[in-house]
Amino acid sequence: MFTRKKSLMLFLLPGLLGLLLFYLVPFLGGIYFSMTDGSIANRFVWFENYQRVWSNPVFLLGLRNSLELSLICAPLIFVFSFVLSVVLRTLKERSLGFRNLLLMPYLVPSSALLIIWLLLFDFGSPINRLMELMGLQRVLWLESEAMRVPVVLLYIWKNVGFSVVIFSAALNAVPDELYEFARLEGAGPIRQATKITLPLIMPTAFLVFVLAWVNAFKIFKEVYFIGGAYPRDSVYTLQHYMNNLFAKLDYQLVTTAAYSFAVIVFVLFGLLYMGKAVRGHDR
Amino acid sequence: MTGSVHAGKKRLRPGQVLAYLVLTLVCLLMVLPIVLTFLYSFFPMSEMTAYLKTRNNYAQGQWMDILLSPSIVSLRQYYSLLIEKPVYLQLFANSLLYTGAVLLGQALVIPMMAYALSRFRFRGRDALFFVILMMMLLPFQVTMAPSVLTMRALGLMNTPWAVILLLVFSPFYIFLVRQYMVGIPGDLFEAAMMDGAGTWRCFLYMVLPISKPILGAAAALSFADSWNMVEQPLIYLSNQQDRMPLSVMFNQLSTSEPGIAFAGAALYILPALLIYTYFQEDILLGIQLSDMK
Repeated sequence: MFTRKKSLMLFLLPGLLGLLLFYLVPFLGGIYFSMTDGSIANRFVWFENYQRVWSNPVFLLGLRNSLELSLICAPLIFVFSFVLSVVLRTLKERSLGFRNLLLMPYLVPSSALLIIWLLLFDFGSPINRLMELMGLQRVLWLESEAMRVPVVLLYIWKNVGFSVVIFSAALNAVPDELYEFARLEGAGPIRQATKITLPLIMPTAFLVFVLAWVNAFKIFKEVYFIGGAYPRDSVYTLQHYMNNLFAKLDYQLVTTAAYSFAVIVFVLFGLLYMGKAVRGHDR
Repeated sequence: MTGSVHAGKKRLRPGQVLAYLVLTLVCLLMVLPIVLTFLYSFFPMSEMTAYLKTRNNYAQGQWMDILLSPSIVSLRQYYSLLIEKPVYLQLFANSLLYTGAVLLGQALVIPMMAYALSRFRFRGRDALFFVILMMMLLPFQVTMAPSVLTMRALGLMNTPWAVILLLVFSPFYIFLVRQYMVGIPGDLFEAAMMDGAGTWRCFLYMVLPISKPILGAAAALSFADSWNMVEQPLIYLSNQQDRMPLSVMFNQLSTSEPGIAFAGAALYILPALLIYTYFQEDILLGIQLSDMK
């Protein structure tokens, strides 16, 4: 550990200045800003902006959609990546190629795949052919409230590999002997997964879920690609609302909306961590 | 890809055969969109334009064809894209510029900051690290909105700087690189200091070379972020279409220039694929490290 002040400053200062200037100071200053009225006198109006935002149906729509979409995506990613990691584990080192393929979409720009997505989910598309083959109705994926499906699928397609990598690392740390023993005792693959794997990787599983959830809050790109700046009500996210406020240069309301969201996120995380602490206590 | 191929190795158990089947299927689905994009980029422009026109046909019993082989393999899309339509190249260059500037800025700032956070003892270090963690976990919308205040105060709104600077100081990458540097054994530093190396020499000749994998990972992940960015340009550049990166404009390109849309997409995917292939091992390490809390 070094303690020299001079060289410390040299290393720390550029990054610290940037963090302060572009993240921390605006974050704290924004709290004050969200309580002023934005006029030239810039009166302090306490929570008036918050009242305005919270009584705005468009804000509420965006907020609800962002939360709902994140609560659809995160569990799906969680389950898919867990199942895939368990399957990968049975193949040992021969699974590496598969795992790497699963991660590939994470690096690929989803913006460039928009066109293929529009084709795949067209009314006359292969996917709808499949639907009809299975005796189902064709679906207006891109023009109706069902637009959530292509949006969520594009999101999962891109992000599932990230969670698979984290899960796989945790799974590989579980000793093989445990499974050998369980097999001798006559436990099937599903019992092994729920009785050995899941408890042992609980901390990682929790983390994967939280990360997937945090990331899913910002779901917007996928909607923007498919639905543009003013999409159907079922996929109108908080980010859409904020972008449209930006376009109107209404910065007060944008920051107000942002902090409203932050409070909700913190409360949700608080609940999640409390739930985890309580359950950890039981054991 | 069945058991009999691995004649020399241990025979596969039935469960493993099933695993192979499942994984092959899933992986095929995962790469299918990418493969199709590249495939369609070699179709003649006229064929592709005509094909895309069959979209949005809502009559019952009307289907789009499933195209799998072109009437003639053609590089016409690429030719048109690179030579005849400067718009596309202009947007591509914008993307390159933003991504390049972000990566360069990060290279200057982030390793030094991570070094200071991991290898120096100073008052407030833990508090600072905690703040970085919080900033990292806050949803993007929450940090983005107030930062507009700074951008306005500095007169950077509607300039590329607003897009670049915010990304340069991303807390996530500081966190990631710091996690790796904390793990470098202290003995190395003691040995280096015995040989008379100061903080700078330690940084340049020891920490940086040792940290190469995580720096590669950070660079690759950051590239992926910037290359696919949408939210930042939409906010900080209002509607100046000529300054947007290509990632924002695909929606419009696919309607205005359907004939070259696939070649455009394929060209945009290509650098990402190359970077992924080159940095694969580093990226895996980086993702696994981001898990240590």
